[in-house]
Amino acid sequence: MDHKKALEGTNTTRGVIQTSFSEKCFSVFNYAFFIVMGLTTLLPFMNLIAKSLSSEGAVISGQVGLLPVGVQFETYKYVLQDSMFLNSLKVSIFLTVVGTACSLFLTTLTAYPLSKYRLRGRKGLLLIFVFTMLFSGGLIPTYLLMQNLNLVNTFPVLFLPAMVNVYNMLIIKNYFEGLPDELEESAKLDGAGNIRILVSVIVPLSLPVMATIGLFFAVAFWNDYFAAMIYITDPAIKPMQLYLKELLVSSSGDFLKDNVDAAINATPQSIQASSILLATIPILLVYPFLQKYFVKGVLVGSVKG
Amino acid sequence: MIKIKKSAVLAGILGFTLALSGCGGGGGGTTDTPAAQPTDAPASTPKDEGNGGTTAEKPGLRMIMQYGLFDPKTEYAAKYIQERTGFNVEYELLPAENADEKLNLLVTGKNNYDIVKLNAMQFYNLASAGALESIDELLESHGNYIKQSIKQESFGSATIDGKIFGIPETGAGASIGEALVVRQDWMDELGLATPTNTDELYNVLKTIKEKKNVIPLTVSNKAPAIYGNIAATFGVFTDWKEVDGKLVHRAELPEMKEYLTFMNKLYKEGLLDTETPINTAQKSIEKFSGGKAAMYELPWWSAGTTIEALTKNSPEAKTSIIPYLKGKDGKAAIGVKTNTTWYVAILKSSKNKEAAMDFLNAKLEPETFKGIALGKEGVHHEVKDGKYYPILPIFNDELNNASSFLTGVDEEKYPIYWQARVRKDPVLQAHFEAFQKNAEGIIVVDPMSTAPPIEAVSKNLLKLTTMLDDNVLQFISGAKPIDAYDQFLAQWRAEGGADMVNAANEWFQSTK
Amino acid sequence: MKPTIEPSPAPHREIKPKRGYWGRLGTDIWKEWDLYLLLVPGILFILLFKYTPMYGITIAFKDFNIFTGFADSPWVGWKHFEKLFTSPDFAQVFKNTVIISFLKIVILFPLPIMIALMLNELRNMVFKRTVQTVIYLPHFLSWVIVGGLFIDLLSTNGGIVNKLLVSLGMEQIAFFLDNSVFRGVLITSAGWKETGWSTIVYLAAFTMIDPMLYEAAKIDGAGRWKQLWHITLPGIAPIIVLMFILRLGNVLEAGTEQILVMYNPVVYQVSDVIGTYVYRQGLGNQDYSFSTAVGLFEAVISFTLVIIGNSMSRKYLQRGIW
Repeated sequence: MDHKKALEGTNTTRGVIQTSFSEKCFSVFNYAFFIVMGLTTLLPFMNLIAKSLSSEGAVISGQVGLLPVGVQFETYKYVLQDSMFLNSLKVSIFLTVVGTACSLFLTTLTAYPLSKYRLRGRKGLLLIFVFTMLFSGGLIPTYLLMQNLNLVNTFPVLFLPAMVNVYNMLIIKNYFEGLPDELEESAKLDGAGNIRILVSVIVPLSLPVMATIGLFFAVAFWNDYFAAMIYITDPAIKPMQLYLKELLVSSSGDFLKDNVDAAINATPQSIQASSILLATIPILLVYPFLQKYFVKGVLVGSVKG
Repeated sequence: MIKIKKSAVLAGILGFTLALSGCGGGGGGTTDTPAAQPTDAPASTPKDEGNGGTTAEKPGLRMIMQYGLFDPKTEYAAKYIQERTGFNVEYELLPAENADEKLNLLVTGKNNYDIVKLNAMQFYNLASAGALESIDELLESHGNYIKQSIKQESFGSATIDGKIFGIPETGAGASIGEALVVRQDWMDELGLATPTNTDELYNVLKTIKEKKNVIPLTVSNKAPAIYGNIAATFGVFTDWKEVDGKLVHRAELPEMKEYLTFMNKLYKEGLLDTETPINTAQKSIEKFSGGKAAMYELPWWSAGTTIEALTKNSPEAKTSIIPYLKGKDGKAAIGVKTNTTWYVAILKSSKNKEAAMDFLNAKLEPETFKGIALGKEGVHHEVKDGKYYPILPIFNDELNNASSFLTGVDEEKYPIYWQARVRKDPVLQAHFEAFQKNAEGIIVVDPMSTAPPIEAVSKNLLKLTTMLDDNVLQFISGAKPIDAYDQFLAQWRAEGGADMVNAANEWFQSTK
Repeated sequence: MKPTIEPSPAPHREIKPKRGYWGRLGTDIWKEWDLYLLLVPGILFILLFKYTPMYGITIAFKDFNIFTGFADSPWVGWKHFEKLFTSPDFAQVFKNTVIISFLKIVILFPLPIMIALMLNELRNMVFKRTVQTVIYLPHFLSWVIVGGLFIDLLSTNGGIVNKLLVSLGMEQIAFFLDNSVFRGVLITSAGWKETGWSTIVYLAAFTMIDPMLYEAAKIDGAGRWKQLWHITLPGIAPIIVLMFILRLGNVLEAGTEQILVMYNPVVYQVSDVIGTYVYRQGLGNQDYSFSTAVGLFEAVISFTLVIIGNSMSRKYLQRGIW
C-alpha cells in the first residue's frame, strides 16, 4: 500500500479512481501552482527574518534579501528584555484566549436560534443584526458609552463590545442551517430541550465552523489595536499590536520630521523586524493546530448512528 | 458519567448566559443619562516623601503628554520631577496615531485632567473650543520662574484675543535640519568640483549620470525634503515669505514655478531619482547608503546611521557636505522655522489650577530644569570645553525620553543643554555642527514663526500644505505640466488658501 | 445530509386560527422558551454596544463640535452631503471607488473559491496542510509592510520584476507611477495579501459535504471535474452566496488603508477613493460631521445593495441571509 492511498484513507472515503490524462495534468499543475504560491507568500517572511538577524547597517542600505548579512542576535535579546514588549505580549495572549472563548460562546448562542426558520421575528431580528454591520453611531458616542459603563481603561473593554460579531454569527448560522433536521428531531424525541440539543448535538458536529470562527476571533483579537488605542492609556493593559503600531509609526519618517528628539532615538529597522516577527509568530501557530478539526465527513456517522 | 458532565456544562452555560444578560441589562439602564456618569477619581494621596522642602499638602495632578514609546511610571525624569517638585503626577500618553481624536475624547470625557501638552493645531482647537484656561493671572501670581525663562515674544504665539492660553515650548532654537551630502570619492574620481549654484549642480549631476550610471540625486517625497536647499536658491524657503511688506505663501511665489521647472528638468533627464514620488526617507537613505545614489538631502539626525551603513558597504566611500548653494543673486540663503513646537496648557475643567501652575513653575526652577534636561553632572553628563556631553549609556537609558516631560524650556539655556543629545554620536554631531556652521549668517526666519494661532490659518494649514506638496510632486514628475500651475493655485486659493493668506497678513500688519 | 441549495423546510405552521401575531409569538415563546432565551444575551449586547450609540448619526446633519455636545450642536440639514457631492473632485473619486471595488469583487471574490477548490483536490495531506498554513501568512502583515514590499519588488531601480522585464527584452514599467497599471498593482497586492486567508471559510464548508455523494458519483463513473462541478461547488454554494452578499456591503470601501499606504500624488487620478479623499480633506480640521455624513452615505448605499442582493438571492437561489 503506497502512502498516497493511506493518506486518502484517513481523510476521505474516496477510493482509487481511474484518473484520466487531463486529471493527471491538472494534478501536476495543481502541485506546481501551490509550490509557487507558497513561495511567494513565504519569501517576505524570510526577508523579515533575515532583516531581524542582520546588522542595522546592512538593513538600512538595503543589502538584506533572503539571508541575513552580518548576523547578530542582539535585536532579539533587546526585544525580549524589553519589559513593555513582554507585558504587552502577556496582555495579548490573555485577551486572545478570554476574548475568543467569550465571543465564540456568545456568537454561537445567538446564531443557533436565528438558524431556525420556525423562530418568530427571525427576518426582523436578522435585519437588526445586519444593520449594525453597516451603520454605526461613531467613535464619540461609543466612547461616551464606555465611559458611562466605567469600562474605559479596563481590560474588558478590549473584548466586550466585540463579542457579538455579526459577520461571524452569520457564518455559523449558515453552517447550522446546513445541518440535517433529523438531528434535532431525533434528539427532541429523546426529550432534549433546545439548549441541550445545541450543546450536545449541534456544537460537536460543528467543530469545523467552530474552529474557523474561533480562528477568526483569535486573529481579530490578536491583531486589534484600535480599541486599545482609543480606550486604554494604562501601559499595563496595552496589547501588543498597539505597542507594535506605535513602534512602527514612531519610527516612520512622517512622525520624525516634527520631532527631532524622537528622530535621534528612532528604533532601528532590525529591531522593528524582530518585533514584528515575535508579535506574529504566536498567532501563526494557532491555525496548524486547528486544522485537525477541518475533517471531512464529520456528519456522516451522526446522522446514521 | 457523561450525562453528569453534560448537565454540568449546561448549567454552567445557563448561568453564564444569565450573568451576561444581567450585566448587559444593567449597563443598558444607565446609558441614557450621560450627565449622571461616575467620574474616575484623580490619583489623590500625593506622596510627599523626599520632596524639595515644601511642607504644604500638594494635590495629585493628571497630565496628558504627547506620544512616546515608554512607560511614564518607570521613567527617571518622572521620578526626578516628583522628587524635586513634590507633586505626584499621573501621566497619560496620547497614541502615535489618531492622537487628536483621543485627545478630544480625554478632554471632553470627564476625566479630571489638569495639564495638557499640545502641538500647535491641538492647542488652537482646544483653545478656540474654550477648553483651556487663560493663564495670565496665574502666571502673574504663581509663575515667576516661567516668566524668567520664556521670552515675552514667545508668549505671543500662545496668545489668543489678548489672553495667554498656554506656556509655549520653543524647543532647541533655530537650527537647520538638512543639507545636500555627496559621494566625495566619486566627485574626486570624476574630477568634479563642489557645486556652488544650481547650474553647477546640474552639470555635476549630469556628469555623474553619464559616468557612474547611478541615481545622481535622490530626495524623499515629503516636505521639507522636496524643497530643501535647491528651492532655497530660487527664493522658496519656508511656508511664508515677506515680500514688499506683505506675507506671501510659498504656493503663490512666482519663484515656485521656476523651482518646479528646474526640478522637472532634472527629473526628465534622470538626474533626479525617478522614484521621487514614492521615496520615503527610508528608501532614499537605502539608495544613498547602498551606493545607488550619489547625492542626498540628508537630515542630520539620520547622518549617524546613514554614513555608518555606507562605509560598511563600501569602505572606500567618502562623503562631504555641500555648502548651501547660491541663488541667482550670487548669495546663499536657507530658511528656518522657529515656531513654538509645544504648548503646555491648563484645562478649564481642572480642579487644581493653582497647583498645576505651581507645578509647571517649579519645573522651570533653574536647577530642576537643568536636571530634567541633562540629568546630574558626573552621572548623566559631563562638561568638556564648555560643552555638555552625555555620559553613555546611562544618558540614553535614563534621559532618552526626558524631553517629553518638559513643559516649557529656559529659552537661553535649553538650546545649549539640548546639544548634549546631538553629541551621542560623533558622526551625527559633526553633521549637525557643519550644517549650522554653513548656515551661519544666511538664515531666513519664517515671518510667521511668532504668530499666534489664527483661525483661518490653523484650520487650513495642514490640508493646504498637503495639497501643495502633492501638487509639487506632480509638477516635478511631470504628471501635471507646469502650465497647469495657475489652475492649481486657483483651486488652492478657493479651498481656503485665500482666506489663510488674508488672515496671516492681517496679523502681520498689526505687528508693525 | 444533502448538499442542496434548497431552503430548509418552511416553518411548520401551527394551525391555531384567530390569534394575532403577538399571540402566536407568546405561544411559541411559551413552548420553546429555551430557544428564545438563547437570543437574549446576543440581542442585549447588540442593543447596548451598537444601538445605544446610534444617536451619533445625527451629527451628519449638524455642525458638531465635540465641546458643545450632541444635543446643543446646531442642525444644518444636508450641508455636509452637499459639500461632498459638490466638491470638484467628487465625481473622479466616486468613479475610482466604484472601479477599484468592482475590479476587486470580480477578480478577488472568486479567487479564494478557486484556490480552496484546488486545495481540496490535493491528495497529499502533509503538502496540503503546509500550503494552507503558508498561503495565509500575508494576512498577518500590515499594509505598511506589504506596501513597502511591493514597492521593492516593482521598483524601476533594481526591483526583481523590472529586472525580469528587461531580461526579456521589454521596457521597464514604473508600476507605482503609471496611471495605466497602478490599479492592477492595488488589486494584485490585495489578492496576494488576503486570498489565502479568505479560503479558510470555504475549506470549513467542504467538511459539510457528505462523502457518500462522492462515492455514489464515482460508481456512476463521474470524473474529478464532474464531482467538482456537481457535488463540491453546490455543496459550498450557501457560503458563497453569504460571502457575496456580505461583500456587497463593502462596495464603497475600496481599500482605504491599503491605498493610503500605496498611492502617491502621481496616481491620485486613478486611485483616489472616497476614504482617502475624506482623509486628506479632514487633515487638521476635525470635521466629525463631514466624515459622519460620508460614512452615512456609504452605509445607505451598502445597505441598499445588501438588501437587493439578499432578495435577488432569495428569488433566484432560494436562500439568503434572512
